[in-house]
Amino acid sequence: MPSDVTEGKIARFSQSLTKLNEAPAYAKSRYQTDVYQEANRLLETDEGLEILFKYADKFDEAGVFQDGPWEDASKLQPPLVAGSLQAKGLPYVIEMMSNLRMLAIAEGKGKNSNVSQEMAMDFLNEVMALNLDLLFPQATEASRIEKKENAAEAQRLFQFISRYLSSSALSETLIHEIKRLTAQRPIMVKRTVSIIKMAKEMLKTHEDDSQREVLQQFVASIEGPSNLSHLYSQPNEYRKQLMNLSAEELQRESEILGRSMRQTGLCSPHHSVLARFLSRKSPEFLPALLQLSGKGKANFEEHAELVHQLIKVALFPSTCQSVYGLALLLERGVLSASPVIPGLRRLIELDIRPEVRNALFKSANEGEGLTANSILLAGVISVLGQPLGVGQGLNPTCQAARGISLWAQHAPGYLLEIIPRAARDGEIDMVFEGVSIYSKDLQGGLAPELHPELDPVSIVLVPHLDRIYSEMMTRVALRGEDGHRWVNPAFYGNWVQKGFSTVIEPITGNIADYPGFVRLFYATHHPEYNDEYELIYPNPVGIFITNVHGKMLGFHAVSIQRVAKCPKGNYRVYFYNPNNDGSQNWGQGIVSTVMGNGENFGESSLPFEEFTSRLYAFHYNPYEQGDSYAVERESVAKVKTLAKDSWGLEYKWISG
Amino acid sequence: MELDQLEMNQTLEESQPEGKTIPYLTALIGWSLPAIEACDKLKRPFVVVGPPDFKDYAEKHNITFVGWEFDRLNEGSDKLYKQLKVLGAEVAVPLYEECVEWAGALNARFRQEPRLFNRSLLLRDKGMMKRKAQIAGIKVGVFEEARDKDDVKRFLKRVNEALLKVDGDKYDPIHCKPLDKAGSVGHRAIDNPADIEALTETDFPLLMESHLDGQEFSCEVFVHKGQIQFLNITEYVKLGYSNFVPPSPSLESKRPVIRQAIEQLIEAFEIENGVIHPEYFIMPDGTLHFGEVAARVPGGHIFDLIERAYGFSAYEAQILCSDPNTTEEELRKFFPSEDEANGYAGCLMVHPHVNFIEELTIPDELEEHAFFEKHDMFTPPQGKVAERVGFGNHYGTIFFFGDDSAEMRRLLEYYEKYDFYL
Repeated sequence: MPSDVTEGKIARFSQSLTKLNEAPAYAKSRYQTDVYQEANRLLETDEGLEILFKYADKFDEAGVFQDGPWEDASKLQPPLVAGSLQAKGLPYVIEMMSNLRMLAIAEGKGKNSNVSQEMAMDFLNEVMALNLDLLFPQATEASRIEKKENAAEAQRLFQFISRYLSSSALSETLIHEIKRLTAQRPIMVKRTVSIIKMAKEMLKTHEDDSQREVLQQFVASIEGPSNLSHLYSQPNEYRKQLMNLSAEELQRESEILGRSMRQTGLCSPHHSVLARFLSRKSPEFLPALLQLSGKGKANFEEHAELVHQLIKVALFPSTCQSVYGLALLLERGVLSASPVIPGLRRLIELDIRPEVRNALFKSANEGEGLTANSILLAGVISVLGQPLGVGQGLNPTCQAARGISLWAQHAPGYLLEIIPRAARDGEIDMVFEGVSIYSKDLQGGLAPELHPELDPVSIVLVPHLDRIYSEMMTRVALRGEDGHRWVNPAFYGNWVQKGFSTVIEPITGNIADYPGFVRLFYATHHPEYNDEYELIYPNPVGIFITNVHGKMLGFHAVSIQRVAKCPKGNYRVYFYNPNNDGSQNWGQGIVSTVMGNGENFGESSLPFEEFTSRLYAFHYNPYEQGDSYAVERESVAKVKTLAKDSWGLEYKWISG
Repeated sequence: MELDQLEMNQTLEESQPEGKTIPYLTALIGWSLPAIEACDKLKRPFVVVGPPDFKDYAEKHNITFVGWEFDRLNEGSDKLYKQLKVLGAEVAVPLYEECVEWAGALNARFRQEPRLFNRSLLLRDKGMMKRKAQIAGIKVGVFEEARDKDDVKRFLKRVNEALLKVDGDKYDPIHCKPLDKAGSVGHRAIDNPADIEALTETDFPLLMESHLDGQEFSCEVFVHKGQIQFLNITEYVKLGYSNFVPPSPSLESKRPVIRQAIEQLIEAFEIENGVIHPEYFIMPDGTLHFGEVAARVPGGHIFDLIERAYGFSAYEAQILCSDPNTTEEELRKFFPSEDEANGYAGCLMVHPHVNFIEELTIPDELEEHAFFEKHDMFTPPQGKVAERVGFGNHYGTIFFFGDDSAEMRRLLEYYEKYDFYL
């Protein structure tokens, strides 16, 4: 199609928009197609975008989006923009126009009763942040193979929009995004790293100094935080340079790298190189590199020989994230648990099965000469150091991730038992109600085809755990009660309490006595009503997942880590969410946060009431019940309203 | 309005005075946005009787709406009538094929002329329609109703016997169509006894008809009190694919003969108010063969083409003509003269020639042609092409407008073969 903008095209677009504008509200759909067609003819050039943008403040009023998914600008979601732009045909055209509308609102040109100028600006900033790969296209193999539909047009749109957005607002969004991700201290940092790499592009044109500094820090954290590491980005060159350093210089280098790592939870390949170097030549600086506290240092000194062995076997440039894992492992004092040391040693020489070895190799970079044992050991170090950094990736295996996280926290010996079972023997067995279940004999599970973007421990364990959990659930399926009551204690171990309450009546699927359910949860978990019993082990609970509009999407498994007052003095539930990204918007203003509300690294949190409103099942200690009658009626009512208006719409409520 | 509410209101309705009810609503039978818009533009208050699915939309936009399932045979037409009467409806305008007898039944009640309903049934049973035309001396093909495959075999054989075909000659086709479906829905041409086996139980009963030669065209006739108010002739380039308005000069020159035939049809079918959409075949010597006639909005975007060519809204015209109380003066003011077209307006309905769509291509020379007006095609998000039912579900339409009927025909023929969808 000839893509130049002609007077004719402009006139035709303008006419079609006028016609649409004049049409009565019920008949808009008759005239929308012509507008979309004429807009499509203009979308192909910058000039055309400019013309469309001139009209964009009139789109809403004319009814361009009426009666379609884009109608209410306040309900649009930035993560969905890229998908529509890559869809064929009509969704692409409407999405382009919708973004121009948003820009018009952000620029103060357009008025929308539901969306303020700031909201529109935030929306666009987030769209930009989520689509940096389109804004700054990279010539990667992946982008070559996955050639996207309409990529050029989408890129033109984003570049057009970015001209209007202040670059400081955009980098603000980016910085927030990176901070949010790093606050969760995930073991898998691929997404964080790719965002930081995008942010690096922004530095080229960016002026705001304070932001520049922050962004630069993040870039340095993965590319070399010190001058020396920055200068010598190749691991072998860096290693050579290290040999020339004096003791003071070496200490300084260790301090810089260590601080950067502890600040962001991110490592550069230099961290591994330096750790190996120090381990051999100057072990006295290792505590500086790991930035160990008194407790960590004591642990290090007690087990120095093993630590050197771990460094030698597991820390390589491509497994550099485990340097951070090692630091935290020492801080947690995991090595003091008696089964851990032999458990780790066993992994070094473990005879790993070929299919497991292949899976491990696939998860690491090629051409670095790593053994499968090194990859696995590095993974174990990370899991033991960052139990809350375990994620389920793109797999529906929240139960397995929750198990690995729980054992890494409270039963590292057990974890180190089942890893070799799976890696060497190709199976795991668990006893369920007196009967042994062998994963080898089972098929299926929730994720027969595991998505491979997982940490090494998950790669080894999840296929087995997933099948065993499914099998246990199958065995109790016909008991007329929620099977989690029996399966959770058997699967996760005796750390799970035997008391169990669920909100759904298993046979009828109705909601019965909801206030009773809420009161019991308060009486067993809320410090003001439960006689101040502390939660000792993470409590695996079931929650309803709802989208930003509060609509129910399904069930999810999380673990309550603790219930405590936040810095502002309100009670919050701090929980582990096996989703890789724990800050989520569940609608009705319920937004789980990962930082800023007293969360430890890796925890998500919600105010107690809001969390309760999404709960459908929990375990409790029947001997540690407080005063359920004391719970304020208003609290129960508030929780109930939140529940009824969201996931509750999908259920029949029979009493209470 | 709910039915129980209706029972309560019934006494209220009965106590109303004779004559015109206020506010004199037009009942649009069938859900059609252009018809709603037309009624609105005419400033005639209206109520829409449509499939219940449209209730929410109607409520959202404050459109008075009565949900009704037209394809369910029921004895409830009386309820519908009372419901509409309470609202103040006086005129029913049928918009789709399956609405025609409902509108007939309603108008029969509104005007207390029971035969209006029988007349509407005439338009809904193609066998009855043909027989009526034949009785009135209108030239039709040989036809019969079939109840099973044997009927079809016998008919195919006898028609071709009459055409003096001997063994080994290729048979002339016969046409089979359901008795009560719009236009070309369910139409098949059969020239081989083996094809008959493809018919299934659900295809029966059907109407069989000998093949008619000649150029096919349709008329859209706006009739008021039995008088032709405006006669539009639509030239078919390829049935179901392309047509244009007004027809090329050679067909236009036959207008007087065509008008005569229409008058004969109106008289035979006792048509009084509304729009009719008959189809004819015309032989080079000017002989007309009657195909069939409908009393609803025609397909093929013909109403849009009429508006483009003559500058009046055919939907408005239909509504005006459907109401016997519309005045002579109003009508004279509304319709232009039949020879005052602004140009030729044509359209092509695009059907993919492939089973799976990857891409949509619109050639530059189409977009740049002086006759090109617009099209409504986008690459469908999901590529699989739906099976065709009648000529209903085309994938898009291209509209042309220009001053030369020969060029119009050339464009429509050329692009009908073009692969827009790959």
